[in-house]
Amino acid sequence: MAETYEFDAIVVGSGITGGYAAKELTEAGLKVLMIERGRDIKHGGDYATEMKTPWEMPFRGSGDRAKYAEEFPVQMLNRHFNEFTAGHFVNDAENPYTTPEDRAFNWFRSYQLGGRSLTWGRQCYRWSDYDFGANKRDGVGNDWPIRYADVAPYYDKVEAFIGVAGQKEGLAQLPDGPFLPPFELNAVEQSLRAKIGAKWPDRVVTPGRVANLTQSKDDEGRGQCQSRAICARGCSYGAYFSTQSSTLPAAMKTGRLTVITDKVVEKLDYDPATKRITGVRFIDRLTGERGRATSRIVFLNAGAFNSVHILLNSADDTNPNGLANSSGVLGTHIMDHASTLSAIAIMPGFEDRTSFGNRPSGAIIPRFRNLDTMDGVGHTRGYSYQGGALQSGWSRGKREAGIGEDYKNALQKPGPWRAVFVAFAECMPRVTNRLTLDKAKKDAQGLPALNIDMAFGKEEHAALADAKAEAEAMLTHAGGKVIMGFDKPGAPGSAIHEMGGARMGFYPKDSVLNQWSQAHDAPNLFVTDGAQMASSACQNPSLTYMALTVRACEAAVRMMKAGEI
Amino acid sequence: MSDQAHISNTGWNRRDFLGGAALLALAIGIPIAGVSLSTLDADDAPSARQVMLMSEVAQLVIPATATKGAGDVGVGAFVLLAMAHGLENARAPLAKDAPAGLQSFARRDGSLDYAAWLEAELNRRTGSDFLNAAPDKRRAVLSALDAEAFAESQNANPWRTIKALILLGYYTSEEGGSRELAYEHIPGKWVPDMPVEPDTRSYSSDWTGVEFG
Repeated sequence: MAETYEFDAIVVGSGITGGYAAKELTEAGLKVLMIERGRDIKHGGDYATEMKTPWEMPFRGSGDRAKYAEEFPVQMLNRHFNEFTAGHFVNDAENPYTTPEDRAFNWFRSYQLGGRSLTWGRQCYRWSDYDFGANKRDGVGNDWPIRYADVAPYYDKVEAFIGVAGQKEGLAQLPDGPFLPPFELNAVEQSLRAKIGAKWPDRVVTPGRVANLTQSKDDEGRGQCQSRAICARGCSYGAYFSTQSSTLPAAMKTGRLTVITDKVVEKLDYDPATKRITGVRFIDRLTGERGRATSRIVFLNAGAFNSVHILLNSADDTNPNGLANSSGVLGTHIMDHASTLSAIAIMPGFEDRTSFGNRPSGAIIPRFRNLDTMDGVGHTRGYSYQGGALQSGWSRGKREAGIGEDYKNALQKPGPWRAVFVAFAECMPRVTNRLTLDKAKKDAQGLPALNIDMAFGKEEHAALADAKAEAEAMLTHAGGKVIMGFDKPGAPGSAIHEMGGARMGFYPKDSVLNQWSQAHDAPNLFVTDGAQMASSACQNPSLTYMALTVRACEAAVRMMKAGEI
Repeated sequence: MSDQAHISNTGWNRRDFLGGAALLALAIGIPIAGVSLSTLDADDAPSARQVMLMSEVAQLVIPATATKGAGDVGVGAFVLLAMAHGLENARAPLAKDAPAGLQSFARRDGSLDYAAWLEAELNRRTGSDFLNAAPDKRRAVLSALDAEAFAESQNANPWRTIKALILLGYYTSEEGGSRELAYEHIPGKWVPDMPVEPDTRSYSSDWTGVEFG
């Protein structure tokens, strides 16, 4: 018989926001149940490949590509997916979703305790009022009911806890935080910063802001980053922010957290008389057994699309189109950043310079388009670049003619420097980009699979065309020789910033959540992962999800104490 | 049955492990007949002749210097295993308009049998059995194939894939990765800028430099 529980709060999901919700709610005194769909992963002890060298691996780190093509056809496209990390990604073949035939969507997933907090890129950027005001400014999408001032205190709190290495720049479009020392720019990037900044004063090459500790956080038992840049294997130093390294220990320390794994949430029960969520139903993925747990409030943190999937699957007689969907917008206005490799350039003149260690980050150029002046052509939002300069390794030999001793000796030396700019363009929120249930296809639990229908539009294409031209101009000006560049985005999902589907807004008639990430239709339901986003900005969203989670937890506790929910 | 259940302890599953065991056995010199390539289709298994050929070719590309060469450390066997399992896209179907000279070496799944192609190509260029030719002749024949394959007009030459796998095999071996190049699993710090010295070696553990370089 499946276990059932009575709790103050149930948190569905254990990733970046689920872990954070569990921490905040337990620290506020609540008794919390966290439900994770995947397997347990213990911090440190279960990072099986962390200390492996390539020559200890059957396929030297590359993995069995033929097998991956059958079992991980989408996940294998992830930069962080390899033979060392494959165990931290979902088996696509066993976990199907559908898309229209002509519109691929790359859905990167990690079903395990810690979720994608184990495999994320760790880039942390604040949003500004250019972002929270974007929908109102150009009239696309619904206005956010919050502005930067509403979120800023929570950014402060989150950055202080998780630890973000970065450099203060005083930019209105990318507000600073209480940063740890940055992972500094290398010689080529320092030159890019100087030369680009001299010609374009509004364009700043700055170190990526990343949730890797440049100073240990002894109070949390987290060590300093060892500059290995193999984070997605798991880090027993606890040097990057993950559920396992940070929020889970904090929540467990309260003695008020219960975690169950291998339980896939099937639906939420809703009582139309009280307009409350009355229970969370789940299926054991290993045994198929069904269970139910009850709590006073529920936080959905299953990951943007899976949280929406649960709400769609929770349809009943009262809510035939899905729970918390009186507006009809549930599942709509999904987004992902349109991203592409804008330019790659050879950077001559630095042959006598090198670096040591593996920086777990790079360099970025924050948004400079459509700030106080609407200077975009064909687009009204922004884009930013991530990338940096790197020194070629042995793999350059794959492109070079030669065999024998001279060839081998040449490859023993560090190779030429290259600069790489990858653009991330803001995605317009469109009603046509949406999630629905595919009644014809069952997922691993026998529930209707999720159908993802998403395409980028002319605005994103215009932004990436501009990004390519500007990247080429900047790198050429800085002395580089551009050898390649693209202006077409990868398939939606490729930026791994999928978001939206249960957007926040002022009004129940056109949004799912209010300013506290609280469902208009069910006041004891909160959705604080990427599903709540009403626009996408052009910078990485995870930090904002965390800040909004902390804000929602504070509000929920306040409402509970006031007897409102 | 979820994949996660049987990945949890080892990081790879049984099928991978068998492939890896075969690879390791080959790398330390167990004769091919003594190894069960149980993960491979029958038509993927290379001939003993092809194993010898690939080892020789690997050694010609990366010969012994102060460190061992690629053939010395089993890279030939790795290349054959890697090709069977699709590394460097070696199991991608041949293009429909690929020359007849390649089509005749197609596997059942439409991908190229690189080992068979290379054997025939080197024998053709040698005018006799490549492996029986004098060392200078072998080097000259392979050098000529390499030069042609990397000429501007030749970006789809199968030799490029084989050579890429030889480099992958060598620089991810302990000899190539940590003796010929430098390997630091736990650098412990990030030093953003320092001079290149005469004895500076490239780091095989510079994952970014390897991935994007």
